[in-house]
Amino acid sequence: MREITYREALNEALLEEIERDPKVFLLGEDIAIYGGAYGVTAGLWKRYGDERVLDTPISENAIVGVGLGAALTGMRPVAEIMYIDFIGLCMEQLNNQVAKIRYMFGGKCTVPLTIRTEGGAGRTLGAHHSQSLESWLIHIPGIKVVMPSTPYDAKGLLKTSIREDNPVVFVEHKMLYNTKGPVPEEEYTIPIGVADIKKEGSDVSLLTYSRMTLFCLEAAKILEKEGISVEVVDLRTLLPIDVKAIVNTVKKTNRVIIVEEDCKTGGTGAEITAQIMENAFDYLDAPVVRVAGADVPMPKSPVLEKLAIPDTERICEAIRKLVRR
Amino acid sequence: MIKEVIMPKLGETMEEGYLVSWKKNEGEKVEKGEVLFEVMSDKTNFEVESLHSGYFRKKLYEPSDNAIPVTTVIGYISDTPDEPMIDIEKKSEPKTDVSEEKPVEKTTISEATGKEESTVSGRIKASPVARKLAEEAGIDISLIKGSGPEGRIEKEDVLDYLSSKKTEGKPSSSGDYTVKEWTPLRRIIARRLSESKREIPHYYIEGRFIVDRIAEIKEAKKEEGIDLTYTDFLIFLAAKAIKEYILVNAAVVNDEIRIYSSVDIGLAVSVEDGLVVPVLKNCDSKSIYEISKERKQIVEKARLNKLTEGEIKNARFVISNLGMYGVENFQPIISPPGVAIMGVGKVGKELVVIEDKMAIIPVMNVSFSFDHRVIDGAYAGMFYKKFKEIMENPVLD
Repeated sequence: MREITYREALNEALLEEIERDPKVFLLGEDIAIYGGAYGVTAGLWKRYGDERVLDTPISENAIVGVGLGAALTGMRPVAEIMYIDFIGLCMEQLNNQVAKIRYMFGGKCTVPLTIRTEGGAGRTLGAHHSQSLESWLIHIPGIKVVMPSTPYDAKGLLKTSIREDNPVVFVEHKMLYNTKGPVPEEEYTIPIGVADIKKEGSDVSLLTYSRMTLFCLEAAKILEKEGISVEVVDLRTLLPIDVKAIVNTVKKTNRVIIVEEDCKTGGTGAEITAQIMENAFDYLDAPVVRVAGADVPMPKSPVLEKLAIPDTERICEAIRKLVRR
Repeated sequence: MIKEVIMPKLGETMEEGYLVSWKKNEGEKVEKGEVLFEVMSDKTNFEVESLHSGYFRKKLYEPSDNAIPVTTVIGYISDTPDEPMIDIEKKSEPKTDVSEEKPVEKTTISEATGKEESTVSGRIKASPVARKLAEEAGIDISLIKGSGPEGRIEKEDVLDYLSSKKTEGKPSSSGDYTVKEWTPLRRIIARRLSESKREIPHYYIEGRFIVDRIAEIKEAKKEEGIDLTYTDFLIFLAAKAIKEYILVNAAVVNDEIRIYSSVDIGLAVSVEDGLVVPVLKNCDSKSIYEISKERKQIVEKARLNKLTEGEIKNARFVISNLGMYGVENFQPIISPPGVAIMGVGKVGKELVVIEDKMAIIPVMNVSFSFDHRVIDGAYAGMFYKKFKEIMENPVLD
């Protein structure tokens, strides 16, 4: 199978959906002429023009508000928020309008809006451009939150998100855009809400998503040599979360480490832990462990930034400690 | 400083243990957490580790078949290899007085894997999955050594224990006997009933109910197409007697005598290689027909091994019937947490004197076992009298 980058996979998904459905259009800051801050929309404006690919002023609130209005009146917009760090600026639209309007009008309208954004650390962009704010989003009933880790998942899930009649926040990771992986040329989609076992194992389960999946796979590889069989479950979607997959892996290995880039306190791992307590307590052989981001604003220093988020070595240590071998 | 090594108390019921082997020689260095010796208790071997680092200086006992009372000093550890040993001869007796004149520090020994740490105020530290596995296998988790942090019992420990039991208990046909393996159900029965007979001061009363009226009603109902059994009558009418003698409906839980408002009666049902006690709830507010219907369902479920946990929990008064085998009388063991159980013998025609006249009528032999902690003889007698009265003058509505 051909290999393409995460960026190219996303670009293909957008192009194919624009082709497929005349109601699909893109809007965001610098996504048209410039091709997007991370180049995801490169070439699309040239090909489809202003009708389908729209540069907007620097107003996140307006981007999401316009997206919502368009969605309510029959379009299928894909809005881009350049950094998830700016999501606070459009929280009124996202939290109070986008997420609730279908519910509050008794289902009389749908909101087929996709909001693409990206997050995470790794480029030493400092505290305003490196955050992982997904736990804010999973606290909003009415939206879906998707966070793919591979080019294959990125393409398949973005296509599904665009076709979804409910709002989806699609969170990419800035350190994944250049990663490569196999992506078939033929059409495919991936359902929202279904986790993917990226590697089977029997001694310990790593529950993770987005960029941390790659670290987990590296750690699994290292520990395989030490005789520890590690299962890596990529959640892919955080809302709705795949409780069944979580329970199944706990039943299988009885030991769980949640690896997340966001801050530990009140983070996504806390919710996953609670799901395990509620649904799989009897299958635990040890307390759930979290390897998570530090509770600090992301430092600008490359040394400190590396310390503030999990890395392969720290994941390995956590596994060795939990499995005690 | 000199520290004592004692025979540990490895279980609540352990009074003495056998020294199986020393793992260190005199003069050898010993680290805290290292296995120092092995002890056998209740046919299980435990490796025992020291809580202190130092030098193992003196063995007071050699491995033998002689039991050593718990807390007996069996050896000494010192901080340095050559500090002078105190006069130790006297202290090889069970701990009655700890010498004041010498700086002997009392040390406790934890089992190899920190068993003592793992039981904090009676609660055994075990992972949820380990507990679940042990429960499913019907084994007492306190018998298992934990290897996890702070002695937590983990899945692997339970599996190891089970596989060691399996090799121990493998059916063998050598010699004059074969060995039958314990099934989980048998283990539970063994544990529960041993506990009951050991803990509960049982006493027994016997009597007989004249059941000619019940026999008549049975016949009449049969003609109407309703099949009622003696057990149905017993459950239905016992509930009425219990309603007046509420202590019979008590349970001893957590050192409390709990008296319940609903009369839930258990029925001993024999199943393949064992016995279960499904419960009929709220018998005092049900008609005999409802009871009969429920009884059939629950017995069927018991035989098919389909009872849910709720259906076998919280039996208090239990009825056990062996009459169909022609048994005259027997004294059943109380099923905890209940405080009374009824044994029903055969129903048969007998010669009975009623008002100075002889009559040949159906009689049911009955016996009851009571928990003397809760129910005294006179109360039991009054309950029996009431029950007999109700059985002999049955009213169905």
